[in-house]
Amino acid sequence: MSNSKLCWPTPNGRPGLVPTLSLLACILLLVISAPALELDLGRIVTAIPRMLAFAGNLLVLPDWEYLPILAKNILQTIEMTFLATSIALVISLPLGILAAKNTSPHPAVFHATRNLLSLMRALPELVWALVFVSAVGLGPLPGIMALSFVTVGFMGKFFAESIEVVDQRQVEGVVAQGASWLQLRTFAHFPQAFPDFVGTVMYVLDHNLRAAAILGLVGAGGIGYDLVMAMRMFDYDRLLPIALSIYIVVTLLDRASDHFRMRMI
Amino acid sequence: MTEQIIERPALPKRPFNPTSVWLSGWLALIWLIIFDLELSFETLLYGVQDIFEYFSRYSRPNFEDLSRYVELLGQTLATALWGSTLAIVVAVLLAPFAARNLSPNAVTYRIARELLNFMRAMPDLLLALIFVAALGLGPLPGALALGVHTAGFLGKFFAESLERVDNGIYEAVTATGASRIQLVMYAGWPSIQREALGYMLYIFDRNVRMAAVLGLVGAGGIGLALHDTLRMFNYDQSAALIVVILATILTIDYLSTWIRGKLN
Repeated sequence: MSNSKLCWPTPNGRPGLVPTLSLLACILLLVISAPALELDLGRIVTAIPRMLAFAGNLLVLPDWEYLPILAKNILQTIEMTFLATSIALVISLPLGILAAKNTSPHPAVFHATRNLLSLMRALPELVWALVFVSAVGLGPLPGIMALSFVTVGFMGKFFAESIEVVDQRQVEGVVAQGASWLQLRTFAHFPQAFPDFVGTVMYVLDHNLRAAAILGLVGAGGIGYDLVMAMRMFDYDRLLPIALSIYIVVTLLDRASDHFRMRMI
Repeated sequence: MTEQIIERPALPKRPFNPTSVWLSGWLALIWLIIFDLELSFETLLYGVQDIFEYFSRYSRPNFEDLSRYVELLGQTLATALWGSTLAIVVAVLLAPFAARNLSPNAVTYRIARELLNFMRAMPDLLLALIFVAALGLGPLPGALALGVHTAGFLGKFFAESLERVDNGIYEAVTATGASRIQLVMYAGWPSIQREALGYMLYIFDRNVRMAAVLGLVGAGGIGLALHDTLRMFNYDQSAALIVVILATILTIDYLSTWIRGKLN
């Protein structure tokens, strides 16, 4: 036993072998990757005055005439979020049933759906938004398409995972009534997984709101376009209201979903 | 003989099933939104053929510049790694203050919570824009933006895990006369290490995805190349870039699933 006051919470008071090695490996990786990052402490230090100047520039009175447009665009962002989540919900429910081991009709279908879902969620929304904007033009439509596409990948996977952990005895009880394939899924699996589904939908809604707020960057609708334009044009009197309104909307949804989740579970 | 009339108690009313109300409200809301956004799904339907034609342009990925893509990919991964490390350091320092049962007093708890909340609410692309303006182009502002944004997530996750730890463990360590720091070090973190590792993996996973698009605002990495090729209508190169990004993200996805399986 070592006598020092602060020692590691292991039997011999020394750090364990596996954590030490993993930590060393991580540090090594960080050091190797530092040049790729163009890491330069001097640059960060010299940037501090510029950051302060930037923060000082933000402290101006908001552009009052812009506020109605801001409200309209924030509303558009929220609408995009809601619509995309709804579309994704409708598509991912059946996909989730196909992608759960215990409700999938065949192992081949299970694997195919799982792989399809992981392909769908692999690329970030912005990449899809870029592609869809090129395909269907500017506006909220490509944004909604990109959001729903990626969200189906996430929701389908989460739904499948919550279906897989349902209580098998309740399923057997419904089987004993002579339920058909579809009735089994509707009346045995679905009601048990429902609270989890609600949690998933709230999480996805939250994720989509954050994503929708920046999709405008590539011209896919929402508040993001105004944000980028305000940044590029140095319209500081618009920047702060935009950032503030994004913060408020995201926080409100966060609180609402916390409250909702507490009630459901 | 008079007929005896037995009065039966009325059956309880059939419980009202609110599903239909919710469903119709939902549909009405969706209809309103579609109306308000002026979405025309007709153009989408008529344009299906165009869309297929458009996607067929991506069918011949051109891997001539593969070495440059790999270099950009390395930059993207470095951005994600440094951003995640920054997030982990900040979150580990902040989380004990944001956990109700470990925070020294109610004021610090509120401040830490609101700070984490604020970091989470700022989209990372917005932060990247600000950092690019201050630091100039390159992957460094991207890493900083990812770090600040995900520190908010990670700090919240850590704090919630610390709050869920069995109170008996804290009491046992307090009973040995441990100070607050010792309480966090010997009761807090050891109890949640598995969960915490899982969260860190998730954050790294997420940061790789985000780092791939940070290039759009000039924060380095493979996203800028994708943006440029799409602007120039070089679909062959865009397709190659998408394939490279997809392969990387899927590899990291499988790796983190594997590590998570080992942890449990």
